[in-house]
Amino acid sequence: MMDSNIIKKLEEIVGKDSLTTREEDLHCYSFDGTGKAYLPEVVAYPQNTEQVSNIMKLANEYNFAVVPRGAGSGMTGGAVPLKGGLVMAMSKLNRILEIDVDNQIAVVEPGVVTGDLQKEVKKVGLSYPPDPASLKYCTIGGNAAECAGGPSAVKYGVTKDFILGLEVVLPSGEILHTGARTEKSVTGYDLTRLFVGSEGTLGIITKIFARLLPLPVHKETFLVESTSLKAATEMVAKILNANITPRTLEYMDKTAISIVRDKLTNPPPETVEAMLLIELDGEETAVLAQTERMKALFAGLEDFTIKHAQTEEEVNDMWQARRSISPSTFNLRPNKISEDVAVPRSRIPELVEYTEKLAKEYGLIILTFGHAGDGNIHVNMMLDRSDIKQAMAGKKAVDLLFKHAVKLQGTLSGEHGIGISKAPYLTFELDETTIKVMKSLKQLFDPNNILNPGKIFPQTAE
Amino acid sequence: MLSKTAKEQLIAITGKDRFSDAVEILTCYSYDSFLEEAMPEAVLFPVSTKEVSEILQVASAHKIPVTARGAGTSVCGAPIAVNQGIVLCFTKMDKIIEINTPDRYAIVQPGVINGELQRALAPEGFFFPPDPGSMNFSTIGGNVALNAGGPRCLKYGVTVDYVLSMEVVLASGEVIRFGSRNIKDVTGYKLSALFCGSEGTLGIITELTLRVVPCPETAQTLMVTFDELDNTAKSVSDIIGSGILPVAIELVDKVGMNALENALHQDLPTEAAGTLLIEVDGIKESCEREIEKITDILKKNHAVSIIKATEEADRNRLWAARRAAYGVFAKIAPDILSEDVTVPVSKVPEMVRSINSTIGKYKLKGGVLAHAGDGNMHPFICADRNDKEEWAKVEAAFKEIFTDAAALHGTLSGEHGIGLAKTQFLPLVMDEASRKFLTTIKRAVDPDNILNPGKLV
Repeated sequence: MMDSNIIKKLEEIVGKDSLTTREEDLHCYSFDGTGKAYLPEVVAYPQNTEQVSNIMKLANEYNFAVVPRGAGSGMTGGAVPLKGGLVMAMSKLNRILEIDVDNQIAVVEPGVVTGDLQKEVKKVGLSYPPDPASLKYCTIGGNAAECAGGPSAVKYGVTKDFILGLEVVLPSGEILHTGARTEKSVTGYDLTRLFVGSEGTLGIITKIFARLLPLPVHKETFLVESTSLKAATEMVAKILNANITPRTLEYMDKTAISIVRDKLTNPPPETVEAMLLIELDGEETAVLAQTERMKALFAGLEDFTIKHAQTEEEVNDMWQARRSISPSTFNLRPNKISEDVAVPRSRIPELVEYTEKLAKEYGLIILTFGHAGDGNIHVNMMLDRSDIKQAMAGKKAVDLLFKHAVKLQGTLSGEHGIGISKAPYLTFELDETTIKVMKSLKQLFDPNNILNPGKIFPQTAE
Repeated sequence: MLSKTAKEQLIAITGKDRFSDAVEILTCYSYDSFLEEAMPEAVLFPVSTKEVSEILQVASAHKIPVTARGAGTSVCGAPIAVNQGIVLCFTKMDKIIEINTPDRYAIVQPGVINGELQRALAPEGFFFPPDPGSMNFSTIGGNVALNAGGPRCLKYGVTVDYVLSMEVVLASGEVIRFGSRNIKDVTGYKLSALFCGSEGTLGIITELTLRVVPCPETAQTLMVTFDELDNTAKSVSDIIGSGILPVAIELVDKVGMNALENALHQDLPTEAAGTLLIEVDGIKESCEREIEKITDILKKNHAVSIIKATEEADRNRLWAARRAAYGVFAKIAPDILSEDVTVPVSKVPEMVRSINSTIGKYKLKGGVLAHAGDGNMHPFICADRNDKEEWAKVEAAFKEIFTDAAALHGTLSGEHGIGLAKTQFLPLVMDEASRKFLTTIKRAVDPDNILNPGKLV
């Protein structure tokens, strides 16, 4: 427990204005996108790296938990203060420190909103590609901690591919600098990629050297309707193997289509089993050439209708279908289990088939949609938790889904992370020795287990 | 010395055929492409993960240093057994286990030669992008251990970007597996990042799942000459700044080009102060458009001549000289020291100037090659190590080059690794806390310091 002595010391570090213990404030920092909530005892808003370091030193001295937090939009409980203690809100470390146009690098603090960074670099003709669905409010620090993905990953890669270096405060309070301002560096161990995706369990990111790319100047958007799910997923491979690299290759199944139908200006016919949202970007000649090729792939195929957006309005309409899925799911049932397993692309049809089987057997409504281009499929199971039978069935179905994904050579999470929601399933994918090594790293970095405790690793094994 | 018991236990694992402590054999495993040499006490040729695990259990019990070795092409001394002990040579673990083009991965043992993997992928229309200069003889295991780069890494990224999953034997002999066959995977810590590039100091790689990508349908190559090195370097930063991402932009200076011509007689542009080799790939229409744009930039920067090659044979001809570079330079003098400092791309002109002025100041024979598009410079100096006075100058020159690169926000090594060669210079680019932390990790993973001791940290 944190006594007034600790609170006083914390006030001395961050200033009275940058600390709160008021219950109504604490509630705002208790939950994330999972809906799971645990109340912290105090929220601190550091304004510089030194303060972060001093808080960690204090946490070690008085043995309280510290949970770094960006916007709290995580999907697996990464920012939830499971063991109480202190939530370190990064909202005051939110400056873009530098945009180096010549070397295409941005130096930013962790609290910068991803969308804001994208807007700023766009002004100088550059882009920061990672685009998680939450980009309008999530922070780059949170993205780095979780190694966030997004639709553009199929062409550009995920967050780890856009981080050149980091400033990190270790649980001991020591300040570490990793990586370099160069595209290539093999000087020492690659700690940058180790911290990225470590879900705030190994260190607190206080500065990020982000890699930028030239802004793509041209874009074409397509919506493909298919009367066969299998044909649609096979088409994904055909497109990618035809030397076409879309920036977006999203798919949605029949259930997903059915819930967004009434939001569309031109809803697809009832016979449509799957839709693909495809976007090409880059230099104009290249985009137009790829457009021709892609249209040629669909020519004469009865299973498919391809629509090519001609106006910005049509583009928005096409995206409307994809964007409306998540919010519309709750029209089906009040609760959702949202998973983001990834499988090798050729196994997508098997995965989808299996979810249909699960839905039938367990009386759940299951929809699948997402990043077909990289095999990262969002499986949403809709249920009513107040119905104990459904709640139990949901739990069982998740268990089976993970087992099956691993059996298909897939992984538990493509972009959301493990956090608390997937920790119990870690052993499905990683063997005991590997988990032991990961835990020994955690132990090495954070011997007192004060930094974001209770995440990633199954609790029973502790 | 390897005790009798240890030796017996090791032979019991591999059999007599795959164990050797004969001096004439050990000598072959005492060096790489760097300058140092050290004789191991024994060399073993495991054929399976199980054998590697058993060998490490013996090594742990007797605290015998273990140095993993692929083809020994490292240029930083990474596979040199400086503390003796045993060399684990992976030439017999050289199988391609699976190639899966629909899901775009290949599963290989560490001893597979990079070039062989390329040849196995080519008929399927795929390739493995990392292309170190040694690709025709270096092994994938060595490439991953050192996080190797190469010319086309400018567009495609380096080795770590292509490692999906690894099987690694720890110092204790325990076997761990992490990653999966999926491009997106955030399950647990990214251990592949830690082990890739760790130069055999954290674990021994026994199997790799690698990402492979489809071959581009076309490529075009330009050879461009300049009468000023500054214009050459400026063109590089202008091209990158314009938003085009070529596969490779290689820079060769006058010293380098003359050495190449003397050895190869290919009618190379020996008068040019700087020469660029630029390649773009992708779909035909965009290649052409990119070449047009690049040509405009080159002309603005006063390019003297521009030769374009579209056919594969012609492109190979342009590349032949660049690919031969290391071998040619190594013959200029008894020894060659080639480093790979890397700077942000806008600093390429400044770094090239600074390297040349340093080499000039010490009156040494040398010059600069570079994977210029990603700022990865290869300054080289040819000298005789037995000439103590001259060699002292070589060392002083490189110290200056490292210092200058660090001052330009650069790093010591872009692709070769730290190994033996550069440990002393780490303080230039890494503060004490960060250096100490590398050691902390090393100690935690390998408490008895038996894995490739004396390297990297």
